[in-house]
Amino acid sequence: MFRNIMIKGNAVWQRGNEKAKMFMIVPLKALRLIGLILSLLCPQIGWTQDSHKEIEQTAQLLTTFLNVGRVVIERNQSLINDPGKGDKGFTPEVFERQVLDEFFHQTGIDLKHPPSSLPSLAKELLATLLLASKDVVRDAQFVINQRGIGYKNFVPATFGSQAARKFSNRSHVTIKQTTVNPRNLKNTPDAYEERVLKRLATQPTSTTPIVEWIDDGRLLRTLMPIYYSEDCLACHGNPKGILDISGYPREGAQVGELAGAISIQIPSDQR
Amino acid sequence: MGVCAIKKFLGSLILTGLCILLQGCGLVYDAVELIHPLTRDELSSICSRARLRVGISVEPFRPFVFPAVYTDEGIRVTGLDIELIREVADALTTHCGGSTPIVPTLHVTRFPDLFIKMNEGQLDLFVSSVSGTIPGTRPSGLWFSPPYFHGDGVAAIIQKPEVAERVWQQFHKQNGKGDTLAAVQEGFAGLTVAVQKGRSSHLYAKANLKRIRMVICDSLPASIETKDPNIDVILTNHSILEYVTKRVWQNWRLLTQIDGTPLLLTQEDLSIVTSDDHRQLQWFLNNLLLRLEESGRLKHMRRRWVEAEYAPTRRATNEGLPLEVTHVPQHYDQGQCRLAEGQ
Repeated sequence: MFRNIMIKGNAVWQRGNEKAKMFMIVPLKALRLIGLILSLLCPQIGWTQDSHKEIEQTAQLLTTFLNVGRVVIERNQSLINDPGKGDKGFTPEVFERQVLDEFFHQTGIDLKHPPSSLPSLAKELLATLLLASKDVVRDAQFVINQRGIGYKNFVPATFGSQAARKFSNRSHVTIKQTTVNPRNLKNTPDAYEERVLKRLATQPTSTTPIVEWIDDGRLLRTLMPIYYSEDCLACHGNPKGILDISGYPREGAQVGELAGAISIQIPSDQR
Repeated sequence: MGVCAIKKFLGSLILTGLCILLQGCGLVYDAVELIHPLTRDELSSICSRARLRVGISVEPFRPFVFPAVYTDEGIRVTGLDIELIREVADALTTHCGGSTPIVPTLHVTRFPDLFIKMNEGQLDLFVSSVSGTIPGTRPSGLWFSPPYFHGDGVAAIIQKPEVAERVWQQFHKQNGKGDTLAAVQEGFAGLTVAVQKGRSSHLYAKANLKRIRMVICDSLPASIETKDPNIDVILTNHSILEYVTKRVWQNWRLLTQIDGTPLLLTQEDLSIVTSDDHRQLQWFLNNLLLRLEESGRLKHMRRRWVEAEYAPTRRATNEGLPLEVTHVPQHYDQGQCRLAEGQ
């Protein structure tokens, strides 16, 4: 009877064991399959993460580069506005040299000999932006070299607008200068830019760009804040509302106040 | 014998036919041209290329043409002449059916070269505050439109008050006769007077002011800038001088009558210039200018550019026209001044 019980028990155990085996094997197989899929997917996830990082780095470098172009124009402003000189010698080649030097100074990246660590996307797009910027300076030669005429409106803002437009037309990347109350309506911020600009205006001065992936990671948006310097105030400072040399009412801005931002959009499927 | 006669008959028939045809070729062509023009007229050419090739002077004549500035849209020029060019282009767009806008292409060139380019067929027309009413300003082969700007004329600007006094003294001597030419001839005698090459001021001085030291300059800014020799008087259009003495070169002032009213040395009306052969375009411009006059548009343009307060750069951004970069000199140099020959 005991044996019977044992046999029964054994049989029950054996049946239970088979059931358990069945319950164990199926999930194990499923797990193995999932593991296989995951192992196949893992490098892809890694690649996507790398790709996102490269795009973010590229965006930051592009905004820096456009801003460097603006800085170079600002530095040469008195030369450009010199009514006594005809040929100013501010050629696209001179501009290029100064931009590359300043870019190296700001980022440590020598674009004359781009380092291998620089993402290929950044290399390609920075070269396109350099060409677009040089084209703007080339197109402006007639205006720059007019003798007897002081103010020519070739200023960081007009340079930036044109360089950004030329670059955006030649790539899948969109760059623009934007501000909450723009003089040029084409620089009007979209809803995203307006939200970020308003947030930036309340925060302390920072050179760190705002970087954000939107549309389920399909589009990178970056905004690099630009602040008013002393030189900007001749046109954008006080007295507020009084027309500046180009005929626009002064904004009454102060040094260090948020002037606007360089906004950039890069889709994730850049490759 | 029979075959030979037939051959002779056929040969003479072909010969006679050829003679008739060759002689009548011109007539046949003319007849066809009359019914259905084989060569396009200039208006059809403008419509088909959707471009109006307009010449403007590189030397800025504010407020007609302001110096080119850089804007968010690229290089732009603005001014009364530019607004007029837009009007012509808009009217041409309507004339051409309205589906494709007629884009004005600005060929910026030195003033004397405008006439050459026009004669060479490189331009459809040019607008550069040109007068057709001053003797010597109408070269053959060109047509000057009815005026788009009335009541202008050569005027003078000075820096030294004694120059004005010299002229006023002459007016006093005339006892109210009001002979401006005589007063200016006496008042300017021995003075150094700058004029712009080929413009009406140059033609006026050459014809009427024999006792001046005439200095011929490439542009108005060059007249202002030159220090060798020192300039006593600068002559050019009154509307231009009125604008620049108020807003650009405020250390120069307009020479006026004793009572302060404008002193005009000539009477001038400004015209659009096109080729003498462009009959269709001439009629088009004629009718357009009449319409602009009747509608008060020309008066409005004059008020906007001559009398109103404004910033040219902002207007250039909003309503300026781009330059055809391939048609601009490498860089604009306002040029030099030199003493006229024999002086």
